[in-house]
Parts: sequence; C-alpha cells; structure tokens
Amino acid sequence: MNAKRWIWSGVTLAVLGCAGSALAAPFTCPKKGGDLVFGGEAKVNSLDQYGSQTISTRNVVSNVFEPLMTRDETNAPILDLAESMTESPDRLTYTFKIRQGIKFHNGKDMTSADVVASFDRYSKVGIERGFLINVAGWEAPDKYTFVIKMKKAQPTFIEDLSSFSQPVVIIPAEQKDKPALQLEPIGTGPFQVAEYVADSHVKLKRYEGYKPNTKFEQRTGFGGYKVACVDTVTYRIVTESGARVAGLQTGELMAVEDVPTKAQADLKKNPKIALLPLENWWVHIMLPNTYKGPTSNLAFRKAVQAALDMDEIMDASTDGAYKLNIGFQYPGRATYTDAGKETYNLKNKDLAKKYLKEANYKNEPLVLLTNKDYTSMYNAALVVAEQLKGVGINAKVDVVDWPTSVNRMIKEKEQNTWHFFYTGYGTQPALGPLATMKFFVHGGNATPVPADAELNAAYDDMINKPDPKERQAAFARMQKRILEQVYAVPFGSLTKVQAVRSNVKGFKPFRIPRFSNVWIE
Amino acid sequence: MGRVIFSRIAGAIPVIILVTLITFGLMRLIPGDVTAALGGVNSTPAEREAIRQNLGLDQPIHVQFVKWYAGLLRGDLGRSHLLGKDVTQTMFERLPVTLSLSAYSLVLTILLGLLTGMLAALRQNSWVDQAAMMFAMIGVSMPNFWLGLMMIVLFSVHLGWLPSGGYVPFMQDPWGWFRATTMPAISLALLQVGLLARITRSTMLEVLRQDFVRTARAKGLPNYLVVGKHALANALIPIVTVVGIIVSLLMSGAVVTETVFSIPGVGQLLTSAILNRDYPMIQGGLLIVTLLLVGINIAVDVAYAWLDPRVRYERG
Repeated sequence: MNAKRWIWSGVTLAVLGCAGSALAAPFTCPKKGGDLVFGGEAKVNSLDQYGSQTISTRNVVSNVFEPLMTRDETNAPILDLAESMTESPDRLTYTFKIRQGIKFHNGKDMTSADVVASFDRYSKVGIERGFLINVAGWEAPDKYTFVIKMKKAQPTFIEDLSSFSQPVVIIPAEQKDKPALQLEPIGTGPFQVAEYVADSHVKLKRYEGYKPNTKFEQRTGFGGYKVACVDTVTYRIVTESGARVAGLQTGELMAVEDVPTKAQADLKKNPKIALLPLENWWVHIMLPNTYKGPTSNLAFRKAVQAALDMDEIMDASTDGAYKLNIGFQYPGRATYTDAGKETYNLKNKDLAKKYLKEANYKNEPLVLLTNKDYTSMYNAALVVAEQLKGVGINAKVDVVDWPTSVNRMIKEKEQNTWHFFYTGYGTQPALGPLATMKFFVHGGNATPVPADAELNAAYDDMINKPDPKERQAAFARMQKRILEQVYAVPFGSLTKVQAVRSNVKGFKPFRIPRFSNVWIE
Repeated sequence: MGRVIFSRIAGAIPVIILVTLITFGLMRLIPGDVTAALGGVNSTPAEREAIRQNLGLDQPIHVQFVKWYAGLLRGDLGRSHLLGKDVTQTMFERLPVTLSLSAYSLVLTILLGLLTGMLAALRQNSWVDQAAMMFAMIGVSMPNFWLGLMMIVLFSVHLGWLPSGGYVPFMQDPWGWFRATTMPAISLALLQVGLLARITRSTMLEVLRQDFVRTARAKGLPNYLVVGKHALANALIPIVTVVGIIVSLLMSGAVVTETVFSIPGVGQLLTSAILNRDYPMIQGGLLIVTLLLVGINIAVDVAYAWLDPRVRYERG
C-alpha cells in the first residue's frame, strides 16, 4: 500500500513520499517479457514534453521522463525524482533533495545540475512556463540539492509544479539549449525510446538501469514504485476507431484507448477482451461570448441556461457514456463542489421564455461555434440548437475545424462572429480547481468574459490564501459566480472506455496509459 | 526527345513557383495556427502565445515569407512546427511508403483495368461486357474508406489472413510489406480500375473499328496479334494519359487509405499538417509533391513521344 501525506508545520510544508510500511514487499512482476502493443487514437506529434501539451505526447513520454514531483492515483502531489521537499516558513524557498543513483537513459548520473538545466530550458520553451512567474531563480548548492527561490509567495506553487499537464521533466544538462520540439527523448523513466516514426508508432524498451522509487511499494498515478515488466511497448497510432477495434479483436493490439460506444456491446461478449471505463474523462462545456449581443445580456444567457436538457445533450454527444455533473471538478474528488447546482439542467421552457422577454430578445441569430474534429462537441451543438429553437431562439450551428474554431474564439476581430464556443475540460479538472478557473480571469481567460471583480477576487483567494480550506471555499464561490452569471455552461462528464486483451494484467485505466507494472500472461 | 524533355521542364518552372506562392498565401488566409494542436484543447491564450514565440509565428508575415524563400534558395525547406523535424528529411522518410503503396496499387490498376476494359471491348454487348462494366461501376462507386473497413472485418477479424493495419518497409521484410499493403492497395486501386477499364473499353472499341484493324484481320493475322500489337498500341495514347492522371489520384487517394490502415505515408503527413496549420510542412511537402507530379507529367509526355512518332516529328 502506498502512502503519501502533506505535513503542515506552522508555515512549513513538507511533502513526503514514503512507504506505508517498511515490512511490505515492493511490487515484483509476476511475469516478465513480451511486447505490449497499444493502439492510440491520436497522432504523437512530438516527444518533447516541454513544447507540446497534447495528450498523445503525454501518453508516451510520461513513461519515459520523470519530474521532481508528480501526482498519485487520486491526483494528489507526491515526490518522484525528489527525495524530499521542504517549503520555508515564508514560502519563499523550496528545497529539494534529489534521489541519488538515478541514471539517464544514456547512462549518465542525474544530479542537481541536470535539474537546473531542465528548469532553464522549461523557462525558455515550456508552454506552461507562466507558472514560474513568481520564481526569482533556482540554484544547485550541492550535487543532490536543488533550491527554488520565490519573488513572492505562491501557495499553489507545488500544485503547479506537480501538474502532469506539462511537467518540468528532468533531462540531461547537455540538452538545455535544444529549441522547442527538438528535445532528444532521454529521460530517467522505466522505459526508453527505441524508435519513433511519427504517424506510425513509438517503440519503447525497458530501461535496464532504472532505479524504482523505494519510498513506495506500488505504482501510483505517474509515480510510485515503477517496474517495466514487458520488454517493449509498441505504441501504435491507429486513428480510425474501427481499425482500433478490429486490431483489438484480432489480438494485433493488446490494449487500446477510446473504444467507440457502438463497438462495446460486441466486445463485451468476447471473453478475451476486458472493457475498462474511465469515468470523468472530461467536462463537456460551451462558453458564451459576453462581448456581443444577445449573449452580452445576462437575462438572455440565463434563458439559454434554463432551456437546456443536459441528459439529451450528453446522450447525443457520447452515445450514452456520460454522467451529469454540474461542476468544474470530477465527482468523488476532495475538491468537488456542487456550488451553483440550482442553475443546472433546468429544462424549463417557461422560465427560458420569461428570461427571453426580460432580455427583450428580437429573434437575433445565435451562432453556436463548433467543430467536427471532436464529434462530441459537434453533436452537443446540434442538440443545443434544437432545444434553443424550441423556446424561440434563432440558433444556428457554425461548423469549422478545431484550429479555426480556437482562432475565432480568441481573436478579438473574430469575436463578432459567434455566441457560444464548444470545448471540453479534460486534464484540467483532474489537476484541481486552479487549472480550470484560470480560464476565466486576469487575461488568462480563454473565453470573452467581462472584468468581474467578484470573480477575480475569488480567484486571487484561490491562489493566495494559505489555508487549503479557504482556497476550496474560494473555488466554490468562483464556480457559483461563473454559473450564476452564465460565463460557462457545463453539460456533464464524459466517460472514455479503454480496453485490454485478457492476457494483459496490471493495466488500470488512468488519464494517461501507464506501461510500468503491466505484464503479459 | 531531348527537346521535348527540356521544353517540358522549362514549362514546369513557373508552375512550381506559382504553387509555392499560392500555398504560402492560402495557408496564411485560413484562420488558426499550430498552437491549437501543440497547446491542446485547454491551453490558455498566454500559453498559445508562448508557443507562437517559440516557433517564430509572432513575426510579421512578410518576414516569415522572406525567411522561407531564403531557405528555399539554399535548399532548406525548414523545420516542421508540429514534429520539430526537418521537412525534407521527413518527406523523404514518408515518400517511399506512399510511393510503394501507390506503385503496388498502380500495378493492380493497370493489370485489372486493362484486362477488364479489353475483355469488355472484345466481347461487346455480351454478358462478359456487362459483367466487366458492372465491376467497373462498383469500383467507381464504392468509397475506399468503407471498402477498407469491410476488408479489415473480413480478412483480418474473421479470416485472420492479413494484418488490420500498420506498415512494414519492403527492404526490411518483403513478405511483411506484401501482407501489410495488399488490402490498402486493393482499396486504393479499385476506384481507378473502374476508371481505367471504362476508358480502355471505349478506346479499344474505337480502334477496333478502324480500317487498319480490318486490314490486319484481312491479311489473316491471328487475333492476339491484331489486338495485342495493332489495336492496343494505338489505344495506348489516351490510356497513358489516364494512367498519368491515375497516378496523381492514387497519391491523393492515399490520404484516406493511409488513415484507415494506419500507414505513415505522405498523405497522413500532409493532412495532419494542413489540419494543424503546420506551415513549413505544408509548404515544403506540397512543393516536393508538386515536383513529383510535374515529373510524372513530363514522363507521360515523353511516353507520348515514344509511343507516337508523330509527336516527335511535329516538335522536331
């Protein structure tokens, strides 16, 4: 059993990844060897985790690279390459002791000089380098100590640092000047890259020099006690879902992600295949353009909110693979809150019409900006359009491709062309409230939301309040405000189904497929 | 012959320059950029701006234009934004995949197309003609992605004869290559077989009615010589034209087939580049594909001159 805990001591925070019991035996592979062939749904464009935030990149390199800290099975921060982490009482210094005896895939010892180089590169090309904004600098006082100095306290710094959205993975110092997307995939993880053919496959092989983290006995999240049981992993890119299912049926693929709902009934009957539903894959959502009428009018936005039947929308979007969910966090998590639930799934046509009258709506066209790259977004827009027409709103669906859709959402001159933008929050809800709330405030907004003092104050509290309870209360306030002001319309949580052949053991569904501690019988 | 080749190459240069200009301009007119792909669904505007800075997309368009053309003059097509790899190197890694698949498909197309068309022409209005034209019609009408998926279900899932997808290089394992590319090649070829069979049939019917064929028969030449030597040789010029077009169609058809069968070819590469606004990859990739297609057209023109001496004399 793994254990990890946040220890509060005055204003000093120490995060320890430690064994629950020194008596428990660490994981050993029941069987070693074989090639695990995994069918991925999206193209792996790059293996440089600093320069790409895509899920497919993460799918592969999370098994290759490791950061100082990561998240466990419940997404709580844990230590990975760090032996310990100490936060100074004034929250201005973070001291990391680094695990000794770790070797990179090229055989070189990992030291604090590599950690410094990794942070140097991340600060230049890391897409999420913005989280280092309050960092004054970093240094390596000795071979196995790394210190981060802050300009000002940032209570959520460890939450950011341990995020697996785009972690500061540790690379050999020689690579620190590699431009974005040109990193050689040399990490410290249990697997090393043997071959990478874009659009075809990535071949990983067991790294014989890997040193598991003995503070744990089992794999947990992306960390813990990791062992490569299989000799190799072939991560094949099979974008066509029918081909992925066929590959699983024939046994050419031993595990796949994203099994289409329509194929699941047949697969369930096959005793050689196990379906692994991954609930809460992402929060399906539409975001209003509050800079342009009629969606600039709160009464109108409330009319839209009142008209929607979320069951219908989610059913059509996901072929039935969903759960209704009001919030910006996944149900079951400690940070989940249902604040603002009174605004959700109202399906009240009379109330919608009342708000329309209040908004003095004159049948102006309402453009729903969606795309076909993500079928669920497209289907949601179609159903929403019909429901809105049912209360007298002149709704029109505008379908473009995803890059165009994003461009029209963020560019000021394009913001006259749409009223609701369709998207989904996936990894962010898993990473905690901060990761989704950043979309709504202070210039980091990914949707046209007006300057809202109450919203910004709640966000500032989420970042700056030292007590986690106060931060959670601020999040609940913020969620409620967003829903009451209809700055977002979440529909529900979408389930994603992974599947494995029955001879694949130890594969547990997670946001990112983990190949360590998985064996083939 | 040398003059024919030279004049064709000279004529192709403005076409190639025009293609580069159009590609550069058109891609910049389409909204969106590669940051949506690299940043993922949930990236913030600030994160996308960071990517733009990393890739130099924050520079004015005229600066990007000058940089790209300066690179082109040095033979440097740039580096893919999406893959982070050299465009030329990436294209030359992928071209053998698509070319080998297209070549296999072309062989199937020519064999089946010519045979079906000739049989139909020689047995005009008989059941053979009807059956051949029905086969051609089915080939023309059937979407190749659907055919591909049906073949996977039959030959991979139920019969287990062929792999459901993936690619094995010919030089690495010829038998593996044959197994991996047979279904894609058939699904790619069938549409073109229909086209070629119909052209072959109509051309052969026209030629078979010519006086010289009647004369050949009157001289007592055996049928295989009349058809194989005299009729087919004269029918070849329109057929070669169609084959030239078919080669281009195979390249573009490969996009769908490569996706269904998970083959890492040029089709997938460029589709992905276009969908994700990977400008250097699109510009460089399309330039190389254009050069290839121009080369094929020149080869077709040279084939005319070789097949029909009148072409040589007229231009000589």
